[in-house]
Amino acid sequence: MEKLLAARLHAVKVRPYLADALFALRVVEDRSVPTMAVDAHWRCYVSPGFVARMPVEELAGVWVHEVSHLLRDHHGRGERYARQHEEFGPGERSETGVHPSEGWGRLRRNIAADFEINDDIYGDGLPLPAGVVLPSLLRLPGGLLMEEYLGTASLSGLAADLAWLDCGSGADGQDRPWELGPDGAHGLSRHQQDAVRFRVAEGIKGRPGEAPQGWRRWADEAFQPPQPWRQLLGAAVRAAAGAPGAGENHSYRRPSRRSASVPGVVLPSLRRTPPAVCVVIDTSGSVSDAELGSALLEVAAISRAVGGRRDLVSVISCDAAAGVAVPLCRAENIELVGGGGTDLRSGFARALRSRPRPDVIVALTDGQTPWPSAPPPCRTVVGLFPRPARAADEENPDYVPDTPPSWARVVTIG
Amino acid sequence: MSLSTVLPAPAPAPVPAEGTPVAVRVPDTDTHLAVADGLLSLLRTTTTEPRPDEQLEALTLAVAADLPVLLWGEPGIGKTAALTRLAASLGLPLTTVIASVHEPSDFSGLPIVGDDPAVQGVPMAPPQWAVELVRAGRGLLFLDELSTATPAVQAALLRVVLERRVGALQLPPGVRIVAAANPRASAADGWELSPPLANRFVHLYWVHDQEVVVRGLGGVWPRAELPRLAPESLADAVAFARRVVCGFLAARPTLIHRLPSTETRRGGAWPSPRSWDAALTLLAFGTAASVSREVLALLVRGAVGDGPGLELLAYLDRLDLPDPETLLADPAAAELPERGDLRQATLEAVVAAVGARPDRARWEAAWAVLVRALETGTADLLVAPATALAAVRRDDWEVPETMDRLAGVVGLARQADRSVERVAAAAAAAERAAAGTHR
Repeated sequence: MEKLLAARLHAVKVRPYLADALFALRVVEDRSVPTMAVDAHWRCYVSPGFVARMPVEELAGVWVHEVSHLLRDHHGRGERYARQHEEFGPGERSETGVHPSEGWGRLRRNIAADFEINDDIYGDGLPLPAGVVLPSLLRLPGGLLMEEYLGTASLSGLAADLAWLDCGSGADGQDRPWELGPDGAHGLSRHQQDAVRFRVAEGIKGRPGEAPQGWRRWADEAFQPPQPWRQLLGAAVRAAAGAPGAGENHSYRRPSRRSASVPGVVLPSLRRTPPAVCVVIDTSGSVSDAELGSALLEVAAISRAVGGRRDLVSVISCDAAAGVAVPLCRAENIELVGGGGTDLRSGFARALRSRPRPDVIVALTDGQTPWPSAPPPCRTVVGLFPRPARAADEENPDYVPDTPPSWARVVTIG
Repeated sequence: MSLSTVLPAPAPAPVPAEGTPVAVRVPDTDTHLAVADGLLSLLRTTTTEPRPDEQLEALTLAVAADLPVLLWGEPGIGKTAALTRLAASLGLPLTTVIASVHEPSDFSGLPIVGDDPAVQGVPMAPPQWAVELVRAGRGLLFLDELSTATPAVQAALLRVVLERRVGALQLPPGVRIVAAANPRASAADGWELSPPLANRFVHLYWVHDQEVVVRGLGGVWPRAELPRLAPESLADAVAFARRVVCGFLAARPTLIHRLPSTETRRGGAWPSPRSWDAALTLLAFGTAASVSREVLALLVRGAVGDGPGLELLAYLDRLDLPDPETLLADPAAAELPERGDLRQATLEAVVAAVGARPDRARWEAAWAVLVRALETGTADLLVAPATALAAVRRDDWEVPETMDRLAGVVGLARQADRSVERVAAAAAAAERAAAGTHR
């Protein structure tokens, strides 16, 4: 026990941002646990024999490993994954002929969860233990999520070697015989788990220099799950095209069809004014063709969905100088010209000069550009290709591109 | 023009396929339908059971607190069914209005031109459902499909939801408002909720519970019960809620008003004085009904958003911690929290209290608290507080006897230090070795 606590102190010392979560774990000694395991209620089950065999510094790594399962909600995600892919179903049981908690589905999820954790928690004070489960065992890239590993890899090559692996229901969402269950003592309720996660995430965000990349990404997304950019871009364009002054709205220009049945009542009718959408595309050298292609297709599909006619969607390619506005109807094979430096201001100016005047301007860019100083007289949506923060101009390393202005709705793509 | 000329011509009767005995079926229709009705009524006979259901409890509490609730959920997940059961168990008539098929004038009132508009003005006539609601004096108004309503309809709904006015008609206080919307991920062609409208609601995310669905399809649905507010604790609940929210916002003034800035947060809950007021109300109701922290968390996060809501709840958790001065006054009887992180926070608060007003008696009392913590919990939690407390010591204070009993803690800390050093030494050695092979 003392060794285990010393290991926890070691872990807190080298990973101070995880201290709250580490201390919130309740230790339960149990001889039937293979090694060390956690359950969904933040209890940590420990086999005394395992502790006796392990040196303190490796135990510290196990602590961080187990608490990572809980912080990253592997039990909830594992359970959801299992339910979606029907691994709780009768098939799993009958094929293997064993209890599902011993089954292959559980082990797969445990391995995938370990892949997600192990590639960035070791090093820097925590020694990499021998026989650690890493994605490189299957020649998979690191830095993916548990679901991605489950989706891409069969993982079956590891089954025989890793059958001993068991991080408990905290890692894969399936109950174990030794666990105390939701009614047992000293569990953390869901709200308490969220509160601990929140404190840890805030701690990481508050001192960003200390935590590795993987933890920082987790902290950013812990309570703001990232949404697919297609939907965000769609919602932004739709909102811009549908806002008062553009696109569909009510008008009194013609009486409503309902007016006939209610004499004496003045009713507006729903009229659709198709929005004119102008897409300004940053064709400077820093944006890849694949990125542009996918985003452009998306904008075209969205603007059709909001009722824009194809001839009302036009495309301007723009690097340092703006090209002409090409209507989308003959732009199935739009030739995007450019490749030099970027100045989107000329693109905006060109868009505003085009006829019909756009109701919405959608700018697709990597943001390495100056922006117009005044908001244009129409809605603006910026689709931003993310770029690592670095100096864009080699001759002038101090140059930092402006962030997109506040009058535009910004959607990060990719 | 007679009515019949307006109506479309009746569709031609379908020509029966050859050999189909059409004539036989007609007289039987009545009995067939009667049997079918019998089967249907059997299918619809379900019972309810009281069942702890957090999301239902949260919904009921928010409805009781007379705050507009917005249920987010995938289509077909049972939002409408849950509301029907809620209305039945509260004894309120349910009025469902599908927002997306209405026009703005249905909510802002239909202008009716009278005899002399210049003198009498143009009244804004309310639609029938509103008149009936007012006549009934009470009811549950359910605005469905909110996120697919056009922006103009959403704008008209602002007034219904906040001021409870439909045209010239004021909805009576007995009317409660609940709305439902599909999340953006599943409503591919929907509009998003504008931030002003989103700010007026308590957002609850409706997810199906496998057990509830399976049991419900088996004929037993959970029953919502109005949370029982304890009449004698009302004043205390209000005082408590005010103290918590005011204390929290005094400490975190930046959280009072924060418009959603990123695209992902649009259309959800965000903090503003209005939504903090809602959070205060919910906190008071939750306290008076003594609901669990889980339900309170759902409600508070639904009112002011995840981040500020979680911070408020963390503040609440800290309020639950024992007062350091009480612990110092009677260390032998000190009751420390069971959970490690809270226990450590408590001990650190004790050390900080001694540091703020250091004198020898308090310092020794703090050591006694640490010993008490060692007796009732794990030793590793004591390392940081003990180190901090040792640093408070003045030269003329003698080391108390109780400190000897913390020797194990010091040993533990040394063991951890040695292990950290071992790892660092190993890493340095590996680096040297790598540099050596490189050369």
